[in-house]
Amino acid sequence: MSQDTLIVWTGRALFLGLWMGAWEWIARTELLPPAFIGTPSKFIRQFWISLWDGSYLEATIVTMQATLAAFVVGAVAALLVAMVMSASPIIGKVLSPFVDAFNSLPRVALIPLFIIWFGLGMTQKVASGVSIMFFIVLSYTIAGAKSVDPDHVVLARSLGIPRWKIFTTIVIPTAVPAIFSGLRLGMIYTILGVITAEMLAGGEGLGTRVSYYSNIFDTNGVLAVLIVLVLLASAVSYVMSIIENWIGRWRSI
Amino acid sequence: MSADVAGLGKNLSPGQGIKVHQVSHIYGGGDRVVQALREVNLDIEVGSFVSLVGASGCGKTTLLDIMCGLTEGQQGTVTVGGLPPRAGRPDTARMFARDALLPWLTAEQNVDYALKTRIADAATRRRRIAALLAAVGLGDFAHAYPRQLSQGMRQRVALVRTFSLHSEFVFLDEPFGALDALTKITLQEELIRLWSETNSTVVLVTHDLSEAAALSDRVVVMSPRPGRIVADVKIDIPRPRRVKDLHSNPEFHEIVADLWARLE
Repeated sequence: MSQDTLIVWTGRALFLGLWMGAWEWIARTELLPPAFIGTPSKFIRQFWISLWDGSYLEATIVTMQATLAAFVVGAVAALLVAMVMSASPIIGKVLSPFVDAFNSLPRVALIPLFIIWFGLGMTQKVASGVSIMFFIVLSYTIAGAKSVDPDHVVLARSLGIPRWKIFTTIVIPTAVPAIFSGLRLGMIYTILGVITAEMLAGGEGLGTRVSYYSNIFDTNGVLAVLIVLVLLASAVSYVMSIIENWIGRWRSI
Repeated sequence: MSADVAGLGKNLSPGQGIKVHQVSHIYGGGDRVVQALREVNLDIEVGSFVSLVGASGCGKTTLLDIMCGLTEGQQGTVTVGGLPPRAGRPDTARMFARDALLPWLTAEQNVDYALKTRIADAATRRRRIAALLAAVGLGDFAHAYPRQLSQGMRQRVALVRTFSLHSEFVFLDEPFGALDALTKITLQEELIRLWSETNSTVVLVTHDLSEAAALSDRVVVMSPRPGRIVADVKIDIPRPRRVKDLHSNPEFHEIVADLWARLE
């Protein structure tokens, strides 16, 4: 570890310590009512105990299943549509205002509809996740495909490389960094979509836990689940950026 | 060089080079028509090195792209090796002003990307690529990505990519325009060497008159709006030529001065 990373990590630990310390102090002295703001020592303890007794396990598995399903379905569908849209400029032009319109629509507002269509189970949660994932990956992929260097295409044409092969060997590699940014961002927002769907529909899942604890006014319970969510989202984002850096290693050299 | 290279163009008679007859080309439509070329006639012999020079907008790159088959829709007739031009013909190769290397591939993979379209056997390709990269002093950089290479090295990889194809007709579009004077001369030497080892016909587009004079058998001077040929100058400096030595040769400077006069 270099000198700088050591300083940075010490600084981070210090910041977290000060933040939690101040929070703890405000709750203990009842400067603000601890029933509303929670108490760090209590929710961290609850998180720690629940982590090891397995009571988060099932909820986490259910939430991650829905998230992964939405991730795969949304990403594959978006990549296929993006391919069609960038391979055929006409189709791209026809569809792009609709893509933009859906992309700016608050997808959370669709969840009640998904509940009507798909019921309260897994399908509804996946649909909510897909509705977010799909459009993020689609718009990032199309933007990436548009950044192709015209010289590369002319080079391939001068070599007699067929159109579909220009697409797979030049357009897609050019778009890969953008696709991965889209996948990473999409993944995080997909977790958000699934959690929201769970909060609205109930059943099993981390989102349900959040609404359950807040309904019984257990602030520490809510905050303990939020720690799980923060850790999950960070872990997923970290793994995605490792894959992203590995695939795009030619960029960082 | 292997035997198949020395034999390039041998099945063509000297007259079966590039023939451009009464070619005109118009860009745009309606009120915004630009006549890029007007009634251009040009005859390039097999195995010769010809430069197209002129101010920007004189249509020299358009003419080059018509010969490569990358630009179509002109009036008049063009034949390259007796056949009409077509993009992707295996006997033609084109090199770009900017290197046009794919940044996600290494130097070796970039050359291979092009060579794969001509040779199926991977081992043959690897041998040829290694030999050519070594010949231009990039033997140790086969696995380097373009980003790790200087502009001169990248253009060298592009040069290798172009000449690795062993094409009968090689079209170069201002390949050294972005390089500093010293690197430029080194690469010009590499180009002469790669060309003289093959028997290919080279057409070079450049705005650098001394580059044109140093490399070519003939320099074709073009003038803009509409693009047309105003002079066709034979360069009688004997080969082999050393570009570095030419710069201290008074005869060479006279030729360049003459080209300047014709350009104006």
